Amino acid sequence: MQLDSKIPDGPLSEKWDRHRFELKLVNPASKRKFKVIVVGTGLAGASASATLAELGYEVMTFCIQDSPRRAHSIAAQGGINAAKNYQNDGDSIWRLFYDTIKGGDFRSREANVYRLAQISNNIIDQCVAQGVPFAREYGGQLANRSFGGAQVSRTFYARGQTGQQLLLGAYGALSRQIAAGKVSLFTRRDMLDLVVIDGKARGIVARNLVSGELEKYAADAVVLATGGYGNVFFLSTNSMGSNISAAFASYRKGASFANPCFVQIHPTCIPVHGTYQSKLTLMSESLRNDGRVWVPRSPEDKRPPDQIPETERDYYLEERYPRFGNLVPRDVASRNAKVQCDMGKGVGDTRLAVYLDLADAIERDGRDVIARKYGNLFEMYKKITAQDPYETPMMIYPAVHYTMGGLWVDYNLMSTIPGLFVLGEANFSDHGANRLGASALMQGLADGYFIIPYTIGDYLAQDSHDTVREDHSAFNESSLQVETRIKKLLSIGGKRTVDDFHRELGHILWENCGMTRKEKDLKKAKKLVADLRVEFWENVLVGGSGQEFNQSLEKAGRVADFLQFGELMVIDALERKESCGCHFNEDFQTDEHEALRDDENFCHVSAWEYRGEGSKPKLHKESLEFENVELTQRSYK
Amino acid sequence: MQWDLNWFICTLRSSIGKKLIMALTGLGFCIFLIAHLAGNLTICAGEDAFNSYSERLHALGPLIILTEIGLLFFAVAHVFIGAYLFYENFRARPEGYLVKKNAGGRTIGSVTMPYTGLFILLFIVIHLVDFHFVEKTDQTIYQIVLETFSNPGYAFFYIVSMIIVAIHVSHGFWSAFQTLGVSNSEYMSVFRVVSIIISLAVGFGFGILPIYISFIS
Amino acid sequence: MTKARDKSCINLKLKVWRQKGPDARGRFETYKARDVSTDMSFLEMLDVVNEEIILSGKDPIAFDHDCREGICGACGTMVNGRAHGPEKGTTLCQLHMRHFSPGDTVVIEPWRSRAFKVIKDLVVDRIAFEKIIQAGGYISVNTGGAPDGNAVSVPQEVAEKAMDAAECIGCGACVAACPNASAMLFVGAKISQFTLLPQGLPEAKKRALAMVGKMDQLGFGNCANETECEKECPKEISIENIARMNREFLKAGLL
Repeated sequence: MQLDSKIPDGPLSEKWDRHRFELKLVNPASKRKFKVIVVGTGLAGASASATLAELGYEVMTFCIQDSPRRAHSIAAQGGINAAKNYQNDGDSIWRLFYDTIKGGDFRSREANVYRLAQISNNIIDQCVAQGVPFAREYGGQLANRSFGGAQVSRTFYARGQTGQQLLLGAYGALSRQIAAGKVSLFTRRDMLDLVVIDGKARGIVARNLVSGELEKYAADAVVLATGGYGNVFFLSTNSMGSNISAAFASYRKGASFANPCFVQIHPTCIPVHGTYQSKLTLMSESLRNDGRVWVPRSPEDKRPPDQIPETERDYYLEERYPRFGNLVPRDVASRNAKVQCDMGKGVGDTRLAVYLDLADAIERDGRDVIARKYGNLFEMYKKITAQDPYETPMMIYPAVHYTMGGLWVDYNLMSTIPGLFVLGEANFSDHGANRLGASALMQGLADGYFIIPYTIGDYLAQDSHDTVREDHSAFNESSLQVETRIKKLLSIGGKRTVDDFHRELGHILWENCGMTRKEKDLKKAKKLVADLRVEFWENVLVGGSGQEFNQSLEKAGRVADFLQFGELMVIDALERKESCGCHFNEDFQTDEHEALRDDENFCHVSAWEYRGEGSKPKLHKESLEFENVELTQRSYK
Repeated sequence: MQWDLNWFICTLRSSIGKKLIMALTGLGFCIFLIAHLAGNLTICAGEDAFNSYSERLHALGPLIILTEIGLLFFAVAHVFIGAYLFYENFRARPEGYLVKKNAGGRTIGSVTMPYTGLFILLFIVIHLVDFHFVEKTDQTIYQIVLETFSNPGYAFFYIVSMIIVAIHVSHGFWSAFQTLGVSNSEYMSVFRVVSIIISLAVGFGFGILPIYISFIS
Repeated sequence: MTKARDKSCINLKLKVWRQKGPDARGRFETYKARDVSTDMSFLEMLDVVNEEIILSGKDPIAFDHDCREGICGACGTMVNGRAHGPEKGTTLCQLHMRHFSPGDTVVIEPWRSRAFKVIKDLVVDRIAFEKIIQAGGYISVNTGGAPDGNAVSVPQEVAEKAMDAAECIGCGACVAACPNASAMLFVGAKISQFTLLPQGLPEAKKRALAMVGKMDQLGFGNCANETECEKECPKEISIENIARMNREFLKAGLL
């Protein structure tokens, strides 16, 4: 298999325009003859569904929730970047491009990232037209704030619920197309397999989560927008339903999986407080704009925060990184929190937390201003911890948040299976080894509104398709396989619950393949995960039947996939013998404990090809060419 | 904008349209109540004042008949649409809750609306029989009032009825403005306060009459 | 059982509505929730109870949930007669067990409304909300061709008011809490958001008529201004939005 990224020729700033011109078009009258399946209704999926339907394609959209509006994009808090330069502070498409490439530690494609920066401006315009109530200045102009990793104010926001508002905008556009009859919506459906016929993606098998029935859907192309795999760690900021099953089923069918070890650990989450805990809650990174991160200077200092005088506080980010201070990129902020806690300077009952203090900002701007910016975050924090952030500094600790890795896609967002397109967090494309704050929303919407509508046309226009119907033998085979697996899961009748296995898997990965990694630990983890997977298939207890609404069965299938995927993640981490962005291998660091890249040997995307159960996946390398930026050691000092 | 009869009917038949009719008729009754109360209070100025108020009112002739027909029409609309809304609301939740607590929004007025309404309907019928359709040829209205209220049972019934009217108005008045959509966050509290004031005025103003009369007789 | 004696752990009795499927007859069943840490969220408490139920070979309690941070709107049940439980402005996933006392009996019921059919146990079908949004809960713009974001100024207080309405998470607590199972707060919030913003004005009339018409068709009850919805709304959306909807609808339908 040869990875062809299909990056167009020409100067960076002209690539996308030129490419759009070169893409083949589908005659408007022919569009309605093409069926497209979109799986997932987050920002990428909803925007893609709506836009493809507007163009005239016949779209079938699937989501696991009872409503498309509940996809996890809804939980994004902070904002969305765009190179509008409304603040006149020197921002430009080039600067957004450069920040994103550098923030990703030079492990993403120049052309993709540049296109993302170009499109960012259209996204804001589109969302405003849809009625997204972005924050405004007194004069009625759009307001901006700055965000981690950037020295300009380019983040647009709607209180602390930007993801919600953007998703509701896309959901509105989707709902409009459903009403127009151009999109058929299938809610509470779990995609369990991808159907590949003659080497092309031609449909899916999905389980109706209410009736338990397996359903088959055929189409001319399949678009996956199923989000990331952060839940492989059990505890993450992802929603409970977020899973990798659709992407992993596609991987098993031949779609390569790129950079699975690139997992972003978000620095500002509410710390873990018990074994029963089901998920971690993120406090928007925007808090770092006004908040100061600190721990006591001395590990012995167990006083409450208000009794620790200024001189005995260690504002470690401000001291180590005077230029960026509290606004260093997420990976740097996270790792430094871990370092402080490892030195015993952590705070709170578990000693696995640092303070995020807004007292200075409250004093400077007044309580009202701070409440307007962060009121809902403060309320959320108070609800969970029963502490009032207006009175006492918040406690935060890093948590798994976003996965840069995902299915490999070319410049057209098509995977290694022709006809299978992957959007948003589910693909690997734009964030390299680390994503900057407020860039996930940007990418999801760029993919869905402004990229897939053109590139899918190119595929459909040039490929001659036979009509495939749901009674094709490949659908039956696929459905049978899925059914066999469900029966197997139900028949084991072991002694441990699905959650129990999931929790253990998460623990193994967090300890050994989390914020920092070591070859020794990774090797250990690989074995532990493999053993756990064996035990799972012998000792899991699911309960109920397949012919009904069965949430335990849903989870079981997802955890089974996570158990397989977890190993792939560890294999990828072992293979990448360097540190870059979020992948911090302790064996590769600078004297100042920063990630030490090895551009000579690892300036590539690692794309893994499935080779059957039990065999080691095959590594393909797509080397990354940098013609426009100089590869530098990231420094935020 | 084009005025479309079809739309007009559709609008009135919608949930908000039905509420609109309830609001407008209800506000009509509020105006009536205030006028009625002002008239009744002339009793405090003595027998002659009260009788002359009554005479002058009836001297309005066709106007008073028109008003009566209007009120009857309002009453029919208010009662029937109210009953229909009650039925629809009942149907909207076929299976109830084992436990249901007030979250702090409901008031005694809002909870009892359909029941106080039904009671008021009964009261109006009795009230009309006693004072409106009564034989007035050989006694003045003042005498009728005095005589009727001299029955302590009736006086008690009347006072209770007025308290119930007050309760109904306490929710109905501000609610009408909310339904009409003239309410916003600033006005809403004003309407709610005015609602309480009017309900107190109605309850107290009417309810005090039997007591006053028992004093003077 | 040393944990149970700990001040931060409590024992509860749960009375939970169990119903196999949409057409099955439901009933209440009683469960014991032992050693519940007061730091747990309500759903984590249910997780723990479910683990025990699964291990005892029985069918766990089905309930909708997803983000567990109060924004997706998936979760929600009646807890002791209150939608999303007793705390103000809180979704069920954000309700913590510290608000309960040792030995409490907790009655857990699904949202009840003719428009929300029970799918299983505490899971209800809120497809009616989808239909209302599909009737007109959007601004009709195709992708591409939007003017610059700053082309139309929106006064800050207007944007803030629109945002107040737009915060709705579509959980259905307003319907569940309303004595008449009315959906007016949900519909009012959406209509308000688009009526307030200049971008939404061209369709204001059509939107108000279509969305209210659809709402009426789906079997929700009528608003009696009892304001329970506002009190139970996890996003504390004001009934001012219902007044605005009424105004918009009447303007559209009569003028």
